[in-house]
Amino acid sequence: MIAFILRRLGGAVLLVFIISAVTFLIFFGLPKLAGTTTDDMAARFAGKSPTPEALAAIKERFGFDQPLAVQYGNFVKAAVTGDTYDTGVEKIDCPAPCLGYSFRTNQSVTDQLVDRFPITLSLVVGAAVIWLLVGVSIGVLSALRRGSLFDRAAMMIALAGVSLPIYFTGLLSLAFVVHQWGLLPPVSYSSFADNPFKWASALILPWITLAFLYAAMYARLTRAGMLETMSEDYIRTARAKGLPERTVITKHALRASLTPLLTVFGLDIGLLFGGAVLTERTFSLKGLGSLALDGVVGSDLPVVLGTVVTASLFVVVANLIVDLLYGVVDPRVRHS
Amino acid sequence: MKSRPRILAASSAGVVLLGLGLTACGGGGDEKTADGAGFEAAVGKVVNPSDKKGGTLRMAISSDIESTDPGDMYYAWSTNYVRLYSRMLLTYASKPGDEGRKPSPDLAEGLGVPSADKKTWTYKLRRGMKYEDGTEIKAKDIKYAVARTFDRAVLRHGPSYFSNVLDAKGYKGPYKDKNLDNFKGVETPDDYTVVFKLKDPFTEFNELVNFSGQTAPVPQDKDKGERYGLHPISSGPYKWEKDYQPGKGGTLVPNSNWDQSTDTNRKQLPARIETIAGLNAEELDNQLLKGQIHVDLAGSGVQDNARKSILTDPKLKAQADNPPGGFHWYNPIDMKVVPNLECRKAMVWAADRDAMWRAYGGDVGGEIATSIMPPDVEGREKGTDYYTKAEKGYKGNVEEAKKSLAACGKPQGFETTMIYREDRPKEKGVAIALQQSLARVNIKLNLKGFPANTYTSDQAGSPSFMQKNNVGIGTFGWLSDWPTGYGYLWALSDKAAILPSGNVNIAQIDDPQINEAWKKSYTTVDAAERAKLYNMIDDRLRSQAAYMPNVYAKSLLFRPSTLNNVFFHKGFGMYNYSTLGVTQ
Amino acid sequence: MTAPIEVTGSETQAQPDAVLEGIEGKAIQGRSLGQIAWLRLKRDKVALAGGIIVILLILMAIFAPLVVKLLGHPPNEFHQDLIDPTLGGPTSSLGGMNGDFLLGLEPGNGRDLFSRIVYGARVSLLVGFMATLVAVVIGTVLGVVAGYFGGWVDWVIARLMDIFLAFPLLMFSIAVVGVLPDKWLGLEGNGLRMAILIFIIGFFSWPYIGRIVRGQTISLREREFVDAARSMGARSPYILFREILPNLVAPILVYSTLLIPTNILFEAALSFLGVGISPPTPAWGSMLTDAIRTYQIAPYFVVIPGMAIFITVMAFNLFGDGLRDALDPRSNR
Repeated sequence: MIAFILRRLGGAVLLVFIISAVTFLIFFGLPKLAGTTTDDMAARFAGKSPTPEALAAIKERFGFDQPLAVQYGNFVKAAVTGDTYDTGVEKIDCPAPCLGYSFRTNQSVTDQLVDRFPITLSLVVGAAVIWLLVGVSIGVLSALRRGSLFDRAAMMIALAGVSLPIYFTGLLSLAFVVHQWGLLPPVSYSSFADNPFKWASALILPWITLAFLYAAMYARLTRAGMLETMSEDYIRTARAKGLPERTVITKHALRASLTPLLTVFGLDIGLLFGGAVLTERTFSLKGLGSLALDGVVGSDLPVVLGTVVTASLFVVVANLIVDLLYGVVDPRVRHS
Repeated sequence: MKSRPRILAASSAGVVLLGLGLTACGGGGDEKTADGAGFEAAVGKVVNPSDKKGGTLRMAISSDIESTDPGDMYYAWSTNYVRLYSRMLLTYASKPGDEGRKPSPDLAEGLGVPSADKKTWTYKLRRGMKYEDGTEIKAKDIKYAVARTFDRAVLRHGPSYFSNVLDAKGYKGPYKDKNLDNFKGVETPDDYTVVFKLKDPFTEFNELVNFSGQTAPVPQDKDKGERYGLHPISSGPYKWEKDYQPGKGGTLVPNSNWDQSTDTNRKQLPARIETIAGLNAEELDNQLLKGQIHVDLAGSGVQDNARKSILTDPKLKAQADNPPGGFHWYNPIDMKVVPNLECRKAMVWAADRDAMWRAYGGDVGGEIATSIMPPDVEGREKGTDYYTKAEKGYKGNVEEAKKSLAACGKPQGFETTMIYREDRPKEKGVAIALQQSLARVNIKLNLKGFPANTYTSDQAGSPSFMQKNNVGIGTFGWLSDWPTGYGYLWALSDKAAILPSGNVNIAQIDDPQINEAWKKSYTTVDAAERAKLYNMIDDRLRSQAAYMPNVYAKSLLFRPSTLNNVFFHKGFGMYNYSTLGVTQ
Repeated sequence: MTAPIEVTGSETQAQPDAVLEGIEGKAIQGRSLGQIAWLRLKRDKVALAGGIIVILLILMAIFAPLVVKLLGHPPNEFHQDLIDPTLGGPTSSLGGMNGDFLLGLEPGNGRDLFSRIVYGARVSLLVGFMATLVAVVIGTVLGVVAGYFGGWVDWVIARLMDIFLAFPLLMFSIAVVGVLPDKWLGLEGNGLRMAILIFIIGFFSWPYIGRIVRGQTISLREREFVDAARSMGARSPYILFREILPNLVAPILVYSTLLIPTNILFEAALSFLGVGISPPTPAWGSMLTDAIRTYQIAPYFVVIPGMAIFITVMAFNLFGDGLRDALDPRSNR
C-alpha cells in the first residue's frame, strides 16, 4: 500500500512539473515564436507602460534573453526557495512558495491566490454538495424507472441543462430571483467563520446555477452507469438469489455504478477549485477565476502564470486523491 | 424626452416569460407619489441633510481603482474619494453650486499667497493636524508628497503639473535621489510653512494646488513607492482598516485622530465605508437602485438598463439627477500615428455625430459638442465647427471625407486601431459607431478595449503604446482640472504636457502656435485676455483635427433615499463623497 | 474523464464501452453497421429533429450572405432612425420585429438582429466544427498509434493525455488568447483570432477522442480478423488503415458529434468573456454580453442569442445521443 501511494505521489509531482513546464513554454516560448521581442515580454511582465530602465531591469531580472530552460529553472527555484523583488524603491521578499510578483497590483501572486481561494472554495463546495445530491438521485430514479414519464422528462431537462450556457442561466436567475423578486440577497462573499448564515444565503444562487449544469451531467452519467450495471450478470445473480430489490440496488448496483463517477467528480472538483471563471464572472465573485481573467485583461503575466499553474496543481492533486481512493476501494488497482 | 417606446409588450412565445418579468421591474405606470427628494433635487442644494452617525456606507465601482495613492490618481472620482482619508493643502469647498468649484483651505490656514512676480507661493499650515497614528503633520511631509510626484516611473497616473511648473532643476524624485534637500521646488523654512518656487509666473497656482490629491502629506519613512497606495496613511476622517486589495476593494473606518472642528469640507458619519471594486456594472446599478449600494464611485451615471428604469418610474426618477457633469467625451486623434492633417480631417468628416451622441445616451447623456472646452469653463466660447456639424441627426459628410482622403493621398482609405474602455459600454458604442461610419470611406478601424484602470496610464496615456500599436484614435473624457481654459486645455494641448505614461495630450499635438499661446498666457494677467488665448488654442485643436469633439456629458446620477447629505459637486462633476452619511 | 470546466455541453466523456462493444458485436454480422444505425435512427424522431435542425443551421451559416440579402439587412448596418435616442430601444412595438426586421433591432444602434444571428452562426459553427476536426485528427492518430503499438509508445501517449486533461482549459485558453500577438503567420484581426480559437480548443480536446480510439484499437488489435490479416503477412500500415480504422469510424462519428456542441459552448464562453471575436463581427456569446447591458430596454435581445446557442447545442446533443443509441445494440428505448 505504501509503495502504491509513493508511486502515485511521485507520478503526481512529475505531472505538476511537466504541466508547469508546458505552461511556461507556452507563455514564454510561443510569443517568441510569434515574433514577440524580449522588450515586449518585459512590458507584459511589468503589466504597465514601463520606463526603459524598468524594462531593462525586468529583462535582466527574469532573464528573458536566456534560454527557456534557465528561465523555467528560475521560476521553479523561486517557487521552492522564495525570491526577492526590487521595485526600485524597496526590496520585497516573496517567501516560498513564490509564484511571482505582480508589478501591476504590487502584490505577490501567492498572496493574491491565498486571498482569493476561499471564495472559489466556498462556491465549489456548496455547488458540489447540491449537484451530487440532486444529480445522483435523479440519475438513480431515472434508471430504476427507465422509459417512464419521469425518466423521459428528467433526461430531457438534463440534456437542456448541459446545453444552456451557464452565464445565460446565471444572469437570468440573477435578474429574476435577486433583482426582480427579491427572493435572495445580492450575491456576495463573506467569510464563513464570520457568519455562516450570511455566507450561505449570499451564495445560494451561484451554487444552484453551477449545480444545475453539473447535476444535469451527473444525472445522465449516473443513469447510464446504473443501466449498465443493472444488466450485469452479478446483479441478475443477486436477484436470483432472492435478495430484496432494495439490497440489490443499494449494495450492489449503486456502488458499482458510482465508482466511475468518483473519477469524474474528482476531476470536476479539481478543475473548479482552480477557478470557476464563468460563474465567478457572472456573479461578480472575486475568486481565482476572476483573478486569472483580470490578469489576462490587464496583461499581468505573472498573475496569469501563477493562476494557471495553481489550477493545474489542483487537478493533479484531485487526480491523485481519486487514485488513492480507488486503491483503497479496489485492491486490483494497487498492483496494476 | 420622447415617449416611452412600447417595445415591451412581449413579442413571441419565447419572449413572453422573460418580457413580462423583466419589464415589470421598470415599474412603468406606477404613479405613486415619489418619496425621493425629486428629480434634480441634489443639483444646487443638499438632499437629506443630517448629522446622524453610524451605519455602513457602501460604495462600488465596476472597474478596478486606478490607484488609492493620493499622489497617483487623476480620475475625478478618485480625487473626490481620496478626501475621505486624505487632507491636502487646499481642496474644493464641499458645497453645492458654483461655490464647490472654488479652492478652499484644508491643511493650510488660507489660500496661498503669491509674491509680486507670481513665482513664489507661500502656504501656512494649521498646527496640530495629525496622521492616523497621532503624529503631527509637518511641512516637510507635504514637500515630500510633492517631490514624489516627480518620479513618473513610480507614480504613473497623477497629473504632472508640479514637475512642469516647479523650479526643481532636473530633480528626479525621492526614489532616485533620497536626499529631500536636493529638491528645490518646494521649501520649508519652518515646520508650518510651505513655499512653492515656480519656473515662470503663474496666476492660477491655487487652483493647481487645490484640484488634486498631490499635496496630501506623505510621511517619507512610510512611503513604499508604488505600494504606498495599498495602505496610504490617513490624515482625513477615515483610515484604511486593512490593505486595499486591487481588483477587490477595501474598508475605511473612522480615524480618531481627525478633528471635525478643523475641517469644514468633510464629515465622519458612517461607522464603516466599504468599497467594492470590479463589481459588474449591471449588478452595481441594480444594487444601487435598491439602495444596497449607496454610491457608484465612478460618478459618470448609470448604465442603459437603469436609465430606462429611472426614466420610466417616477419614484426612482425622484431620486435621480441629470446635471451636466463637466466632462467632455471627445476623441483624440494621435497626430504621430495619423500625421497627415487631411487624413485626420477625413476621419472627422466621416464621423456620424448623431450615432456617437446616441451612444452616450442621447438627451440624457449630453449635448453634442462644438468646442473642446465644455460650456461651464470660464470665458469659453462656443466656437465654430470644423469638418463636422454639432447637430442632432448629422450623420457625417462622406463626400468631404473622400475629398480629404484624396488630398491626403489615400483615396483608397487607410487602416488604424481605435481603443476604448472595455468596461464602459457607452465608449464601446461610440467605437462601433465610428468604425461603422468611417468604414463608409474605407477607413478601417480595428477596435480594441482595455480596462479603465490602466487605460489612462498605459494605453491611451502611453504615446509609445499608441504608436507601436498603430492606435490612431481613442475614446476619452476630460473634466477641467479647474474651471479655466488652462485647467481644461493645458494637459491635452501643450507640448510640455506629453508624458511617457498617464499622458493626456493623447493627440501628441506639438503645435508652435499653441505652445506660443501657452507661454503668452502665463504672463497675461487679465483673465479675459487669457480666456481669448484659451479659445484660440481650442480653435486650433479642432482646425488641426487633433481632437474630435463628441458630447458634453450629462450624467444620470442616482442617490438612494437612505443616503444623506447628498449634493452634486460641480468641481468633481458628481456627488460629493466626503460628507455622505447613511440612514440604516 | 470529464468535460472542460463549466462548459459541459455533453458528456463526451461518458463511458464509451457500450457503443464500442456494440459495434464490434455487429460488425461481423450480415447487415452493415450503417444500415442498422440508419434503421434505428429513423425510428428516433427526437434525434432526427435534432439532425434536421443541425443541417438547417449549417445551411444557414454557409449561405449567410444570401439569407441576409433575401431576409435581412447587412449585419453591421445601423438603423438609428428606428431607435429612441433617449431610452435606446426601438420606437416601434415588439422590439422592432416585423417583416423587415425578422428578429427585431439591436437597442442603441438598431442593427438587424436576424442578420447578426445568421452571421453569428458562422463563427459558432466554424469554430465548433474546425476545432472538433483538429481534435479528431490528433486524437485518432495518437489514439491508434498508442493502441496499436502499445508498450512505451502507448505509455508516453497515455501520459500525454493525462497531462492535457489536467490543464484548466478555459482559463488556459483565455490566457493564451490574451498573450498572442495581433499579427502572426500572415493572419491578423479576426482571422487570426478564429484560427487561434480553433487551434486551442481543438488542441486541448483531442484526448477525449484519443482515449476512445486508443481503447478501441487495443481491443481490435486482438481480434480474429486482425490476427488473420497479420498471419497472412499484412504490414502494420495495411492493418491500421484497412482493418482498424474503418472500425473506428462509428465511435469517432458519435463522439465528434458530441464534441461539437461542447466546442460551440466553449467559443461562446470566450466571446462572452470578451476574449473571442472582436467587434463588429457578430458572435452569439458577445451578443449575449451586450444584451445583458440592455435587458430592461430590450428583453428580446437577451433571449435571441441565448436561444440560438441553446437550440444549436441542444440539436447537436439530441442528434449525437440518438446516433449513439443507434449504434449501441444494448440500448432499446
